[in-house]
Amino acid sequence: MAAGGGGSCDPLAPAGVPCAFSPHSQAYFALASTDGHLRVWETANNRLHQEYVPSAHLSGTCTCLAWAPARLQAKESPQRKKRKSEAVGTSNQTDLLALGTAVGSILLYSTVKGELHSKLISGGHDNRVNCIQWHQDSGCLYSCSDDKHIVEWNVQTCKVKCKWKGDNSSVSSLCISPDGKMLLSAGRTIKLWVLETKEIYRHFTGHATPVSSLMFTTIRPPNESQPFDGITGLYFLSGAVHDRLLNVWQVRSENKEKSAVMSFTVTDEPVYIDLTLSENKEEPVKLAVVCRDGQVHLFEHILNGYCKKPLTSNCTIQIATPGKGKKSTPKPIPILAAGFCSDKMSLLLVYGSWFQPTIERVALNSREPHMCLVRDISNCWAPKVETAITKVRTPVMNSEAKVLVPGIPGHHAAIKPAPPQTEQVESKRKSGGNEVSIEERLGAMDIDTHKKGKEDLQTNSFPVLLTQGLESNDFEMLNKVLQTRNVNLIKKTVLRMPLHTIIPLLQELTKRLQGHPNSAVLMVQWLKCVLTVHASYLSTLPDLVPQLGTLYQLMESRVKTFQKLSHLHGKLILLITQVTASEKTKGATSPGQKAKLVYEEESSEEESDDEIADKDSEDNWNEDEESESEKDEDVEEEDEDAEGKDEENGEDRDTASEKELNGDSDLDPENESEEE
Amino acid sequence: MVEEENIRVVRCGGSELNFRRAVFSADSKYIFCVSGDFVKVYSTVTEECVHILHGHRNLVTGIQLNPNNHLQLYSCSLDGTIKLWDYIDGILIKTFIVGCKLHALFTLAQAEDSVFVIVNKEKPDIFQLVSVKLSKSSSQEVEAKELSFVLDYINQSPKCIAFGNEGVYVAAVREFYLSVYFFKKKTTSRFTLSSSRNKKHAKNNFTCVACHPTEDCIASGHMDGKIRLWRNFYDDKKYTYTCLHWHHDMVMDLAFSVTGTSLLSGGRESVLVEWRDATEKNKEFLPRLGATIEHISVSPAGDLFCTSHSDNKIIIIHRNLEASAVIQGLVKDRSIFTGLMIDPRTKALVLNGKPGHLQFYSLQNDKQLYNLDIIQQEYINDYGLIQIELTKAAFGCFGNWLATVEQRQEKETELELQMKLWMYNKKTQGFILNTKINMPHEDCITALCFCNAEKSEQPTLVTASKDGYFKVWILTDDSDIYKKAVGWTCDFVGSYHKYQATNCCFSEDGSLLAVSFEEIVTIWDSVTWELKCTFCQRAGKIRHLCFGRLTCSKYLLGATENGILCCWNLLSCALEWNAKLNVRVMEPDPNSENIAAISQSSVGSDLFVFKPSEPRPLYIQKGISREEVQWGVFVPRDVPESFTSEAYQWLNRSQFYFLTKSQSLLTFSTKSPEEKLTPTSKQLLAEESLPTTPFYFILGKHRQQQDEKLNETLENELVQLPLTENIPAISELLHTPAHVLPSAAFLCSMFVNSLLLSKETKSAKEIPEDVDMEEEKESEDSDEENDFTEKVQDTSNTGLGEDIIHQLSKSEEKELRKFRKIDYSWIAAL
Repeated sequence: MAAGGGGSCDPLAPAGVPCAFSPHSQAYFALASTDGHLRVWETANNRLHQEYVPSAHLSGTCTCLAWAPARLQAKESPQRKKRKSEAVGTSNQTDLLALGTAVGSILLYSTVKGELHSKLISGGHDNRVNCIQWHQDSGCLYSCSDDKHIVEWNVQTCKVKCKWKGDNSSVSSLCISPDGKMLLSAGRTIKLWVLETKEIYRHFTGHATPVSSLMFTTIRPPNESQPFDGITGLYFLSGAVHDRLLNVWQVRSENKEKSAVMSFTVTDEPVYIDLTLSENKEEPVKLAVVCRDGQVHLFEHILNGYCKKPLTSNCTIQIATPGKGKKSTPKPIPILAAGFCSDKMSLLLVYGSWFQPTIERVALNSREPHMCLVRDISNCWAPKVETAITKVRTPVMNSEAKVLVPGIPGHHAAIKPAPPQTEQVESKRKSGGNEVSIEERLGAMDIDTHKKGKEDLQTNSFPVLLTQGLESNDFEMLNKVLQTRNVNLIKKTVLRMPLHTIIPLLQELTKRLQGHPNSAVLMVQWLKCVLTVHASYLSTLPDLVPQLGTLYQLMESRVKTFQKLSHLHGKLILLITQVTASEKTKGATSPGQKAKLVYEEESSEEESDDEIADKDSEDNWNEDEESESEKDEDVEEEDEDAEGKDEENGEDRDTASEKELNGDSDLDPENESEEE
Repeated sequence: MVEEENIRVVRCGGSELNFRRAVFSADSKYIFCVSGDFVKVYSTVTEECVHILHGHRNLVTGIQLNPNNHLQLYSCSLDGTIKLWDYIDGILIKTFIVGCKLHALFTLAQAEDSVFVIVNKEKPDIFQLVSVKLSKSSSQEVEAKELSFVLDYINQSPKCIAFGNEGVYVAAVREFYLSVYFFKKKTTSRFTLSSSRNKKHAKNNFTCVACHPTEDCIASGHMDGKIRLWRNFYDDKKYTYTCLHWHHDMVMDLAFSVTGTSLLSGGRESVLVEWRDATEKNKEFLPRLGATIEHISVSPAGDLFCTSHSDNKIIIIHRNLEASAVIQGLVKDRSIFTGLMIDPRTKALVLNGKPGHLQFYSLQNDKQLYNLDIIQQEYINDYGLIQIELTKAAFGCFGNWLATVEQRQEKETELELQMKLWMYNKKTQGFILNTKINMPHEDCITALCFCNAEKSEQPTLVTASKDGYFKVWILTDDSDIYKKAVGWTCDFVGSYHKYQATNCCFSEDGSLLAVSFEEIVTIWDSVTWELKCTFCQRAGKIRHLCFGRLTCSKYLLGATENGILCCWNLLSCALEWNAKLNVRVMEPDPNSENIAAISQSSVGSDLFVFKPSEPRPLYIQKGISREEVQWGVFVPRDVPESFTSEAYQWLNRSQFYFLTKSQSLLTFSTKSPEEKLTPTSKQLLAEESLPTTPFYFILGKHRQQQDEKLNETLENELVQLPLTENIPAISELLHTPAHVLPSAAFLCSMFVNSLLLSKETKSAKEIPEDVDMEEEKESEDSDEENDFTEKVQDTSNTGLGEDIIHQLSKSEEKELRKFRKIDYSWIAAL
């Protein structure tokens, strides 16, 4: 892992690239990558805000960076600091970013102006700058370096205020106490300095390797019995290179204790640490530690005295790519940084590659011990300049989206008969039907192959084919039959259909009507035929409404434009067909109930047998039936007309079903005519 | 604890930016634009606002750089003043009081002590161009009453006036004629377009004018999209013009590049056209800029252009016609149908944005996040086209679902309606279309709401429509053998006596649904979809409907069009109380029981905050806005405030934002009013931004040597550095802004003298031979200093520092000058 900066080959250099969230609202994330570029990202919309290349970025790469506390001059007039989103949106901006470089210079970069603000060189460091800390109030900057010194800068004048030797080896990390009067430095040991006099106040043993991070975790001592002097009783945290333990130290009043009071254990070297300060005793400190292996460990702990055993994390967050299919296994995505949002309940995660990181706000759910977020960052690789400027995001619209048009089930509420029992029945039927259908399908496949030869021998035995197709749900077989355009053929086929297949046929037709309009034109013929021929049978069915509800809705919506006209048209057609049918059937003998049986048998076994005669008789029978039914129908219809047609949410099931039928037969012809 | 003051209404959402042409600073680093009563200074690189210049008391109508000092800016306002600003530090330098309303401002390098303004004299419609003499007195406020008349009967817009050919003439257009006034001859020539009289429909009214910077050439834009280039207009008879025609609609603005080689034009097509060499053939385009181009301006350095657009943005464009930055306020082009919403995921304010888009606006940073393209159709910006409008939108289930409704209605009967349900995909961090519903209702959808109860197992959406029905949509499993999928289906359709459904709203726990049908409110059980009860007050159509929350969840509130606010008790099914209040906006606070209602009266809008359980309002503020308030929303705070006083407690957990008819976004703040920034507090910033000049290097080097000496002796000891600031001359030199300084020649002797006094004299040494002693003009020095800062870095040092000091001590002014003119690179690597 290349460390940020010139000392990348140094085994004791901290891992990870220097990066930081802007203070307060975390609006920006600054990242100084190993190629010497400083990039500032907007956290809210993951957009590259600006990019800056220092002129000496190759020789003096950035080793550390720190955001200035919100507008330095704000302190001059105390009221101004509190203004948040006033008419002037800029007051809360933090615009200065301090960059330490590998050659010892410190650059101040203004993110508002997008240019170098000033450069702190003279009298400063002559070796790699390891850490920069801004003082909260005084407008001072503290930096430490490999040259063993700590420097206090006056930012307003860009001059060295004070420089002192901080350690016998390089000073690797700094931290300012919450009250701003003390400074922690970590070299070989951790030292606490009094800022005013620059004297050592306390010593702590520290780590075996260079300390990469130092942080105060509390702003108040746990026990408030003694008067608080600003430092005694506070806890601070330290993490070091190659060290899987984060130590917590307490500043004690007596000068004896030099070892850590407790420690947190993580899976790898800590790269980035963020914490929420606890404001009172009860509130636990929340700690987010990003490790070199790309995981985030979250700790929640009330700091209170000793703990021998290292604490393990409450929650671990990992991010991985989705493994699509069997070929690609999920790959982990490294997390670069994590910062708590101001509400302390969510975490900003920065992950992916450092030149195009993704920033996401994740709500924390403390109950889960392990969070694995699946994220697809494959499309993030190519930064899009276009969208960066126009700020337009295009949500995905693909063909997988469900489309509901009027008439399709789901567009309108399904027509449910009396709520409880029938629903159960329906669901049973559905589930049962499904289970059987797989078996049936398998069975039917065999039958199909058996019968292929036979079918070729026969000429156009459509009813049989259709029946078989409906039973086996064979798409090809159905296509062969249903795609005919010959009206007579359709009529004859429908006449010869066994009654029990009518409902499946209607359902199949409904499904096809919802499809492509070209096929729907053909289906309209079929539907018209079925409804005129089998109206009487349909009217006898008790559960017609739920079964054909979708069909009804479909037709209702399709003929909406000329509703009245199509009603009239449908009625006229019915009358005409009835008249012609009655004329035809004059003198013809009605075959009686026996014919039905014959029909069944024929459909199952004998087909080649004396077809023509059979057909005729069937025809007659059916037509007879039809005429009868139509008479019935007509009577009913008239009755209904008297009742008034527009009553729609019919409470009575019978009338509803009748209406259903009426609607069907009425509207259908119009439908056809329209499409023609 | 925040000190509590009066609650004030404050503006947010980056107010209007496109009122006038933006102006670039001389170095193209900054761009200025007028914005209400303020002038805003933006960085052209980062799009960030660097300063806001406040001081004017009325609309700012014009800004121009001071031609004599490019670090200063003039602004004029309707309050009758011209102000001079130092824009780098944001300081008001001077105020010139003219007295009458100023509508536009022009400056001319040739007219040194005067500026030109447009005023209207007697009649409200007649405008004059006058020049105002600005006296040079040093006081902060100066009367400038010396007006001299230039041109009469001109157009109010500054786009219709242009100064040409280094101030030899001024061109003004109005309706069908172009008038040119020559300053030397003091004559006016007038050119009228002939065709305007012949053909009735030839729309060749003038719309804007621009003058070539060096040649005698005037470009004028016209209503019919033509651009005319006028030449030889010194002669009333022999004048000529040529036509350039690409725009099909009105030319909104024209600008010549700095050298005059190309002409820029723009209009409703949202395409910036660059006409090279003023010929029809050579043109370049920058298309798809998003909205009508209203203004075009060119930076004095010539490297940047910028276009201001009707949707409240400024695009900064490179010389090679590549957009480099966008300064975007709240998009304001079109009416807001969706109202204000909060995206639970990003906590951003969501409302209509660009045509067909939803804009996400971050209130925390006062910045637009992005536009979400919902309609996804190419937008054709043309007059009279009826566009698909995004009329409704709602977030559901913690931001996992977004429902949008788009409609287009050309004629009464031809309604096109589409509802889209978008699912937030966590993997790709974006919205994906899940279900598209054509014509979900027969008529316009009036309300849309998700059931946001925490325990609801099934996402539920309710749409209410003018067709008299409300539909309940639920998310169902659409998986089949090919794929796993979920999709929305209609679960229930309800109606009540064929009345139009006007509002719908779920109770907090999601158990009840209230739907208002004109005057009647119906309550439905959300499990069985049974009608539970109805409330009818016969007090006019229900305009707003909402349930109480938390402890007040047994109340239902309805505001009617007749100005009655009703509160029903759901347990007793009776009217609890009502009040006479003409409610325009009623919004419940998601974090408390409070409900905010904004009422409209003839004088303005008033805010009432109340709890349904208590008849007395918690807080009343009268006159929050002169205009009608159209929308409002409570935004939960990230970090709760802790106001103790009763009147402010309602602001503790949420903040209330509202949008007026003119689309300014306002909110309430308890913080102290914006302090006038005193020059001193700003001065500190100036010091801080002091660049590392060569002077700094000289002094720094010297100091470093001293440091080294001290360090050798006292390694661990604290070192107090000698302060060069103690010398007044040096501090004055270094700490005064560069543009206020006298010439370098004047300063030099003073500077050298000051050094002399502070040092003990040492013997002189020679100037090193490698120093290039080239003589240059004195004037070039100052520029060089400014540009120096960053260049100097890696060059080697020959250890000259010592020599310099000795040389200085010799106090030879000439030699110092020589030294200052040498190549500075040698000082660098310190």
